[in-house]
Amino acid sequence: MMNKMLKWILWLAGFVFLILYPKLFGIYYSNVFVTFAIFALYATSYNLLLGYTGLLSFGHAMFFGTGAYGTALALTHISGFPLIPALLAGALAAAILALILCPIMVRVGGTAFAMLHLAFGGLMYVLALKLRHITGGEDGIGGFDIPPFSIPGIVSFDMTDPLQFFYFAMVVLIGSIWILWFFTKTPFGQIMIAVRDNAKRVDYLGFRVPQTKAVIYVFSGAFCGVAGAVYALFQNLISAEDGFHVMTSFAPIMLTMVGGIGSFFGPIFGSAIFGILEELTTRYTERVELVFGLVLIFVIMFAPMGFVGTVKMIKEKWFTRQGV
Amino acid sequence: MNILETQGLYHDFSGLKVLFDVNLQVEPGERHAIIGPNGAGKTTLFNLITGTYKPSRGNVVFKEKDITGAGPWKILRQGMGRSFQITSTFDRMTAFQNIRLAVMSTRGIRFNMFRKVDKMQNVTEEAEEILKRINLDGERDIQAGNLSYGKHRSLEISMALATNPDLVMLDEPTAGMSKDETHYAVELIRRLTEGKTTVIIEHDMDVVFSLADRITVLHHGTILATGEPCDIRDNQAVKDAYLGEMGGEEDVCY
Repeated sequence: MMNKMLKWILWLAGFVFLILYPKLFGIYYSNVFVTFAIFALYATSYNLLLGYTGLLSFGHAMFFGTGAYGTALALTHISGFPLIPALLAGALAAAILALILCPIMVRVGGTAFAMLHLAFGGLMYVLALKLRHITGGEDGIGGFDIPPFSIPGIVSFDMTDPLQFFYFAMVVLIGSIWILWFFTKTPFGQIMIAVRDNAKRVDYLGFRVPQTKAVIYVFSGAFCGVAGAVYALFQNLISAEDGFHVMTSFAPIMLTMVGGIGSFFGPIFGSAIFGILEELTTRYTERVELVFGLVLIFVIMFAPMGFVGTVKMIKEKWFTRQGV
Repeated sequence: MNILETQGLYHDFSGLKVLFDVNLQVEPGERHAIIGPNGAGKTTLFNLITGTYKPSRGNVVFKEKDITGAGPWKILRQGMGRSFQITSTFDRMTAFQNIRLAVMSTRGIRFNMFRKVDKMQNVTEEAEEILKRINLDGERDIQAGNLSYGKHRSLEISMALATNPDLVMLDEPTAGMSKDETHYAVELIRRLTEGKTTVIIEHDMDVVFSLADRITVLHHGTILATGEPCDIRDNQAVKDAYLGEMGGEEDVCY
């Protein structure tokens, strides 16, 4: 009972904090926060594969990029295309890509899975560079109109206003993360975790492993697409470099490793840690990757369970010491 | 009428003949033990029956249906459960969650993504009831990988039984157990498989002779003898190949 109350109070506090955030910290830090939230969603959907199903992918940028390009292309070529369908177009594009790839991907595992993703991710990067008449090549697609979020006759929010976009992005991103969280709590989510632990036994319990993996794969791809779509709307620009580059593929791995691989909220903490680090580092130097790399090495060597795992461990130690 | 039959089963691993012409017959309701020296092909036979491998030749007939070459998930849904020689549970999930997955499978809850599993009261109740029956209710929230060996094995065996199969295949359920644990496991198996058809691979002859209604002896990939425990014990070929002289201390036959 108390626990439930505490939970609601925390939710309420978080909600109030988010509403007041732009007023407290100003537009610049609001934009930092949006970037953080985009990568939090990206890494969380990625973690469905890495942390929950135990599949390491080196090419998830292809879903992020496809989502971003999907939205950008829809807005460029269809005049008067509304905001929510544009967002869904990005998610759908990523989901379709995942659907096309899943017959191969669900039948391989381990290294083959990782390397095939590296290959397809690389292919998508080259395609984005070379198909200039569609993707704009190295320049990417930019300057498309961002439609307002409107319910005809009731309200209309101007998405070019950073403050209103902040709220819109928060609703979409946090909503998506909530859906993913709910997903892990359903019976299907249990089967997903079981596949990570012991795929053979899942088979012997009467569940079909490839089909299960396929659903998770498409789900993960679609939500990476949502993250990409919000990114395209946020930047009003998407380029091959941002969307498909191999560094974009490694970002969620890094965030998940540092945040805590075995937990749902790990990637979100990871995203926060790197967001803050980047903010602090860029004040002194351009070489952000240098700091990121050092942090990653430090975490792998001394805290392999990441931030969440380490906090949990410290908490447990502290409690046992109390007990003794 | 047999519930399970293998008809002229052959299997080879890239040229190495593991099984040839195996005709196993399991009658409904019996506890059927498969014994034989190491490398006789017992586990391979299990793997062929439960769908891990497809046999090179021959058929597996289960409940008068040909299930040769069907995948494990399909065979399970026809009503055949299996446990493993090397404990094969979901080690980072709790004992309760392990059993719950089996319960979900029985109830056909598979691609449900719209309800929280914790809110499915009847699934929770059934899983808890099974835990109680196997005396694991005290370990409900312990990760399977952290259970003691004996309890981990109990979990392994009961996961095969939790899907409520018509036929249970137990691959060395007492492997690696101490004497006390074995004794406990045998009682557990006896209790849980009451009235169920059970096929069991076992090395421990005390276990075999106390549990089994019929015994099949596998030797060098083929069936040496099938029969009731007393017949097997007195069978000269079996004595030569495997059992040896068992002394006179047991008296199950008299």
